[in-house]
Amino acid sequence: MKNSKIVILITTMISLLLLFSVNVMAQDQVELTITWWGSQNRHDRTIEVIEQFEAEHPEIDVVFEFSGWADYWTRVNTQAAGGNVACIMQQDYAFLTEWASRDLLLPMDDLFASGAVDVSNVSESILNSGMVNGETYGLSLGTNSQVYILDADAFEAAGVELPAWDWTWEDFETISTQIHDALGIWSIAYGPWDDANMKSVLLSDGQWLFTDDGTAIGIEDSTVWIDHLNRIHRLMESGAIASMEEQADVSAPGLEGSPIVEGTEAIRYQWSNQLVALYTAAGEDRNFVLYPLPRVAGGQSANYLKPSMFFSITEGCETVEEAAMFIDYFTNSLEANDVLFAERGVPVSSVVQAHLAESVDAVTASIFEYIAQVGESASPVPPPDPAGWSDINTNILYPQYVEPVLFGMLDAADGFDFFVEESDLILAQNAQ
Amino acid sequence: MANTTLSTSETVEKPKSTAKPRKKNRDFKMNNLAGYLFISPWLIAFLLFTMVPMIISAGLAFTDFDTLSNRGNFIGLDNFTRMFSEDPRYWRSVNATIKYVIFSVPLRLSAALFIAMLLNTPRRGVYFYRAAYYIPSMIGGSVAVAVMWRQLFGTEGLVNAFLMILGLDQPIRWLGNPDTAIWTLIILAAWQFGSPMLIFLAGLRQIPQEFYEAAEIDGASAIRKFTRITLPLLTPIIFFNVIIQMIGAFRTFTQAFIVTGGRGAPLDTTLFYAIYLYNRAFNSFQMGYAASMAWVLLFVIAILTAINFKLSSRWVYYETDVE
Repeated sequence: MKNSKIVILITTMISLLLLFSVNVMAQDQVELTITWWGSQNRHDRTIEVIEQFEAEHPEIDVVFEFSGWADYWTRVNTQAAGGNVACIMQQDYAFLTEWASRDLLLPMDDLFASGAVDVSNVSESILNSGMVNGETYGLSLGTNSQVYILDADAFEAAGVELPAWDWTWEDFETISTQIHDALGIWSIAYGPWDDANMKSVLLSDGQWLFTDDGTAIGIEDSTVWIDHLNRIHRLMESGAIASMEEQADVSAPGLEGSPIVEGTEAIRYQWSNQLVALYTAAGEDRNFVLYPLPRVAGGQSANYLKPSMFFSITEGCETVEEAAMFIDYFTNSLEANDVLFAERGVPVSSVVQAHLAESVDAVTASIFEYIAQVGESASPVPPPDPAGWSDINTNILYPQYVEPVLFGMLDAADGFDFFVEESDLILAQNAQ
Repeated sequence: MANTTLSTSETVEKPKSTAKPRKKNRDFKMNNLAGYLFISPWLIAFLLFTMVPMIISAGLAFTDFDTLSNRGNFIGLDNFTRMFSEDPRYWRSVNATIKYVIFSVPLRLSAALFIAMLLNTPRRGVYFYRAAYYIPSMIGGSVAVAVMWRQLFGTEGLVNAFLMILGLDQPIRWLGNPDTAIWTLIILAAWQFGSPMLIFLAGLRQIPQEFYEAAEIDGASAIRKFTRITLPLLTPIIFFNVIIQMIGAFRTFTQAFIVTGGRGAPLDTTLFYAIYLYNRAFNSFQMGYAASMAWVLLFVIAILTAINFKLSSRWVYYETDVE
């Protein structure tokens, strides 16, 4: 008697469970998942291209997920741990090695060779930028470079002339002091101590942060780095650069409320693919001029052309063929690129680039021009950051070296050896 | 007389209730089973999503498990030796956390007790105030409050605006200055006094009114009544609140994650234990290390709670203990 009660209870529960779990599996569409980070502008454009793609391929159902930069990495890192990252993921140069060396990405060389993804109009150097250990794990979505945006009106108001194209950090210091003295605003609120910027100081000096194989710190002569940090600290002390205490105010409002838009800084550091958004935020009556990074005295260009971001296919993707079709469409279709409109950087396909050059607005044209100009003298793109770099950056470089130095609590020269030791340890561990 | 008749009738009925012991036993089992079935959603979720991960994390603590690739090797106690002797940031996070616990818990509890006593008086609209003061705690863990806090303590925020009316000439960079950043979080914690307040309130209402009346007749002052009647009788509640709030403070995450950016800025002064643990697990991908950090925290909290219980016999007064 009582047993039958239990039996009834359990069978009801099981049948309920079954009822809910039986999905409508009879789908004739193939599901392709894709994820990216970006601004609202990018989301809108990308979704529109996805809709175009679906219209052309009714058999493919594209399921997408997007977010801002920081949330994106939190999400995909967790998803990777659970083994359910989207099939196509937007990748970054800084993390490509980190992901590829953990076998989380699929090599794309076969797709390129078979023509599934047509890369015949993409230059060799751009293709190579997606290489890790001899295999290609990502196709660049646009070319990018660091840029110092100079507010020409502020320069004029301060009576400071625009510098030469190959300006140096000495020039930068002079200009910064002049502008601050004349106008009382910051010359720059954030940038020169950004990790990409710090690495470029080394590049300009003919060095690089890592050894060729990426298993140790490769700085042979630390003078330029220490000088650089001391220079920033000096400028922070004098008020020409926003101090460390002011950083929370500087970074909080995002691009739209950034100091250059508000008129509280005369120079802004940025990656070139974010320029469109910045120009939009600043409005049309502003007079911005694009400059490469300052060089070290007598050094080579501190700029390099970097893939702004990649599309990578993740390990465990069951729809590789469809993924390749989508990436191919994204890279080569003129229609798609009319919508994307170089928002991810200057397109990698020379055909698309030529096509867009005819139709772009003044802002985008100036970015195309800047990239072309930088390209003439640019240093070759350094290899992707080795595995362990994000650990070094978050746990060593910034909190234990750069930040204390700029707060004036640590001498740049004294802290350097500790930074190298600790970083070498991490790189060696990751190389195993 | 009436008593005796009652007791006899009880003894008469006794054999009746013990007549079918087996049936009763079965009913009991049956009822238990139904009970378990009813709590099974919670039970299953608890086993799957709390117990199992805890057991796994205990294992992970002895590996160099990598969050991204889901692989790791057994490395014995390496994580712990690294934590205690080779990781300066770990100690910074411990420092920040201890400072936070030491200041935020007493501040929050004092605020809670103070407001609870105000609200324990029969005044007009007291129910409204009780609800109103509880609201910050209900929304306390939420992102919205933290974002608001960020605005309040921003350089051009309300706090600075107010202080400048009072004659401050330079705005204070609350969030950027290593000396002040943690205090914005401590004050935030103090402000979210709602749940200990409710518990205090319940405790206050249990103190017999006669004590106060007697004290008044003897001419005791308000302060004397507080220190001689309210505080001693409230010690069990205070003890409970201290334990709960201390555990919560050690694990604090959301507020610091949003107010100061989640990286411990400035200069790791707000790098709370849970924040650092999270960063190790999901930014440096060192799940093994993070797991060992979590277990150390668990043990530290357990030990501190045990010490608290030991010490409690010296200051906590239970009415039931007397006689």
